[in-house]
Order: sequence, then C-alpha cells, then structure tokens
Amino acid sequence: MPIEIKHLTHVYMPGSPFEARALNDICLDIRDGEFIGIIGHTGSGKSTLISYFNGLERAKPGTVFVGGVDLGSKDTDLIAVRRTVGLVFQYPEYQLFEETVEKDIAFGPTNLGLPPEEIERRVVHAMQLVGLDPSRAKKSPFDLSGGQKRRVAIAGVLAMDPQILVLDEPAAGLDPAGRHEMLELIRDIHESGVTIVMVSHSMDDVGKYCDRLFVLSHGEVAYQGAPAEVFVHGEALNAIGLDVPECAKLAKRLRDAGFDIPMDAYRLEDVAGYIIDNIGKGRRGA
Amino acid sequence: MIKNVTIGQYFPGDSFVHRLDPRTKLLATIALIAVVFVSTGFAGFAMIAAFVLLTALSTGVHLKFLFKGLKPIMFIIIFTFILNLLFQQTGGVLLQFWIIKITTGGLKMASFMAARLILLVVASQLLTLTTSPISLTDGLESLMRPASKIGFPAHEIAMMMSIALRFIPTLMDEADKIMKAQKARGANFETGNIIQRARAMIPLLVPLFVGAFRRADELALAMDARCYRGGAGRTRMNQLKYGARDLIAALAVAALFALVILANRFCPF
Ligand SMILES: Nc1ncnc2c1ncn2[C@@H]1O[C@H](COP(=O)(O)OP(=O)(O)O)[C@@H](O)[C@H]1O
Ligand SMILES: [Mg+2]
Repeated sequence: MPIEIKHLTHVYMPGSPFEARALNDICLDIRDGEFIGIIGHTGSGKSTLISYFNGLERAKPGTVFVGGVDLGSKDTDLIAVRRTVGLVFQYPEYQLFEETVEKDIAFGPTNLGLPPEEIERRVVHAMQLVGLDPSRAKKSPFDLSGGQKRRVAIAGVLAMDPQILVLDEPAAGLDPAGRHEMLELIRDIHESGVTIVMVSHSMDDVGKYCDRLFVLSHGEVAYQGAPAEVFVHGEALNAIGLDVPECAKLAKRLRDAGFDIPMDAYRLEDVAGYIIDNIGKGRRGA
Repeated sequence: MIKNVTIGQYFPGDSFVHRLDPRTKLLATIALIAVVFVSTGFAGFAMIAAFVLLTALSTGVHLKFLFKGLKPIMFIIIFTFILNLLFQQTGGVLLQFWIIKITTGGLKMASFMAARLILLVVASQLLTLTTSPISLTDGLESLMRPASKIGFPAHEIAMMMSIALRFIPTLMDEADKIMKAQKARGANFETGNIIQRARAMIPLLVPLFVGAFRRADELALAMDARCYRGGAGRTRMNQLKYGARDLIAALAVAALFALVILANRFCPF
C-alpha cells in the first residue's frame, strides 16, 4: 500500500489573525516495506503532515492517495483507511482510558467490528509484538511505567493490524535504555512486514534505522533520499536546526584530513570498519 | 470540530482602545450597558450605536467579529421580537388576519427590545475583542479589591479565572489530539444515537480528565516551589495605572450618557 502525496498545503486557522501555514506544497511518496524517516525541527510540520496519512485531515489543496484510494474524496471509507494505516501519536500513553491493558488494546479491533475470538487473538499477538508480559493483560494501564504505557498504546494501534505504521516521535521523553528498546521494537515490527514511517528530530535515530528520509523545514520538503545522500548537506542541515549523526561528522573530518572513507559511511559499524582499514595505510598521497 | 475557537476572542492590536486600562474598559462597558437601559427611544439607541461603531472602527477589529457574538443569541432576539410584535396591542392597527393583529405600538416595542439586546451584546463584545483575557482578570481583581476587606476572595477568584483562561486553549488542544488518536483507532464521535454518542465520549473524557488533573498537580507544585501563598502582600510586575487616555475615554462615555438623557427628554422617538 504505497502512500502518494502531491502538492499538499495546510493552513491552520485561515482568515484569523492567528493564521499559520504549517505545510506548503508537500510532495512525497512511500513505497511498500520501506522504513521512512521524517525529520525536522520542532514546528516544521511533521505532526500536521502525518495526520493526512489516514484521513484525519482532508487534503485541500493537494491530494493524498493510499494504495490508490483518494483520501480527499467524500466517498472514501475512512475506517478502512484507518485499518490500513495505523497512526501512533506523540506521547500516545496519554490516550489510554480503559480499566485494563487488554481492554484498551481491544478498543481498535472492537471498533472494526471483529468477532471476539479474533479480537482476543489480536490483543495477545499485539502484546507479544511490543514485548509486554501476558501477566499485565488484566492490570490497569495507569499503574504501568511510562515506557510500558507507551507499549500498550502502540499495541493498541498494532491490534488494528495495519500495513503501514506511522509513529510520531516514538522515542520522545524516554531514557537512553528505553529509547534504544523502543527503536529496536520498531525495527522488529518492520521486520514482521509492516511499512514504517517514523517521525523524529534525532538524526542519529533515523540514520541508524531508516532506508529513506524526508527532511522538513518550515512546512516544505528541504531534502530527501537515503540517509547518506541527506547527511552530505551537513552545514545546510545545521542551518535548519538539525545535526548529522556523530559518526557522519567523524567520517567527514577524517575524510577532510585525507583518510580514505567513502561519502556514504555514517553508521557506527561502517565507520569503525573503514577506520580499521585505514590504520597502517596512512593518508592518501602521504 | 474543536478547531478555530479563540477563547475570549481577543483580537490583538495597538489602538487607543486596546491600550486603555482594563479597569477603564470594564467600567466603560458597564456604563454602556447602563446607558442602553437608560435610553427610552430610538434616538438614544442611534447615538449609542454610532458611538459603539465608531469605537469599533477605531480599533481596527473587523466589524464581522463584532457581530459574530450575535449569532448564539439570534434565536432569543427573534423570539423576543415576535412575542412583542404579537402581544403588544397599542396604537393603530397595521395588519390583521385570523387571530393575528399587528399594531404600530407592537412593532415599535418589538424593534425597541431587539435593538436593546443587539446593542447590549455588541457593546460587551467590544470589551472582549480589545482586551486580552489576562488583562481582563487583572482589571477585575483590581476592581474587586475593596471587597476583599470584608473577606471577599478577590485575588483567589481572579487567579482561578486567569488559570482557567490560560488552560482552556491547552485543554482544547489536548481534546483535539486525543480525539484524533482515538479516531485513528476507529472511534466514531460523529454518528449514532444519543446513548451511543455519550458512550463514544468516554475514550475522550477519561484521558482528558487524567491529563487535567496531572497538569493541575504540576502547576500547584510549580507555584508552591515559587512560594506562592495567595493574595496577601503580593505585589505585581505590571502595575495598572490610569493615564490621560483613560480620562478621555471616561469623558467620552459621560458625554454619551448626557446626550442620551437629553434625547430621552427632547426627542419623541
Ligand atoms: N492546532 C493548531 N493550531 C494552530 N497552529 C498549529 C496547530 N498545530 C500546529 N500548529 C502550527 O503548525 C506548525 C507545525 O506544527 P507541527 O505539525 O506540530 O510541527 P512538528 O510536529 O514538526 O513540531 C507550527 O508552527 C505550529 O505552531
Ligand atoms: Mg510534532
């Protein structure tokens, strides 16, 4: 189910003194099975953009197609779209409301009108996917830790069995260990066959996990492409409030100093490998 | 949906009226409301309307916003108009059919009442459009302060009002976010009968209340940490001060008052 967005513009509160243009002529496409990163400074329009992915906002002007279905059309079955595209908002733990973890995760599938056995199966499966111990099923979600709550919230979306999972800053507000676990968890979900769109403002995170990036700045796509292609614009990225990963910076400094390190090295393992290769070889031309 | 709601409908600006002391604006609004009731004829109303319109024009606020406030009470205005039209039976008969009899007195009374309601709303609209909610509560607190001598909690009420005003947009924002999140899980807030709709609100209201309590807790802690202990002995950063323009405004309102009283006396309409 590819997502195709063309010339999307979004203006908040048009015609009022508080008018704000959050998106400006956005064009992007997401293909099946990709792990996409959307990065940008706070206020660059990331959250606004993803609310178009499952028809929470209707495009005008512009078009949004998901799997060939026009989300702007009045006849589109939005429930079907929301079944295909799962959206996990920022701080999703604040949307929990049920008495037990199990019931909260079942909210989505119940809304889809699935039979009870199927709901039960999906709840168990989703809990397993996000690494929640089955013993927590009957607990109140409000008694869990922050990181665990977030897992429940993500399980609640996964239980809809989406083909595309969109996550808005899934690692925000977690400690380094929780952050790492969360990102690994998303990688696992990706490997189970779900297309992932991850919103982040950490270049390190998107560099490590994503196949392709869209860099947003002031509501426009400033750069796009594979991480290596994007990280080449080091200075320009700094100018729009973003940073390249530490490893990419190191690689660039070594390259500038004359060491033989290719342009597309930015992952820790790659850069380490090239440094080891360089040891003993000395500088080019030296 | 919840979008596009501006609380207190404050319209930022830098006009003469915007820069008036909020106490002046509050008192002037009360005076305007009083003068609307004092006026006994259309001549007075015409003067008040001219005053309000000219003031509104001078603020740079779009007149459209001035009349927006009428929308919610349009029903009441129309209802009052029709009741007066039908049941006030004085003067010559204008129209008569079946059991309905419309008289000149009825028409006059109906128009008078409708005009009075419209003027009341538009005049108070002028206050909320040109005064930010925060300076409005500051003004209220300052005006209520004498009453705190007899134990009236003026500061506490003003503080509660400003906190509420400060958090209403935050809560609206949060409600909007939660609603979107639950819709993304297939929740349906828009269709169904009244019981289904009420049930559909649970996934919105529970997180909203949990969030509101969490915020209240955090705010109380933060205020405590900065040694907040109520109104006694508390000074403020922005002192309210009356200036020359407040005097001008007061004189203008007083002049309007005098003119309306003269109109009541000498003008038959
Ligand atoms: N509900 C809203 N009303 C008005 N303006 C908004 C609203 N939500 C976001 N904005 C504005 O739109 C812009 C983009 O916001 P957002 O999409 O939340 O950015 P990001 O997620 O990248 O931080 C910001 O300038 C923000 O102030
Ligand atoms: Mg955001």
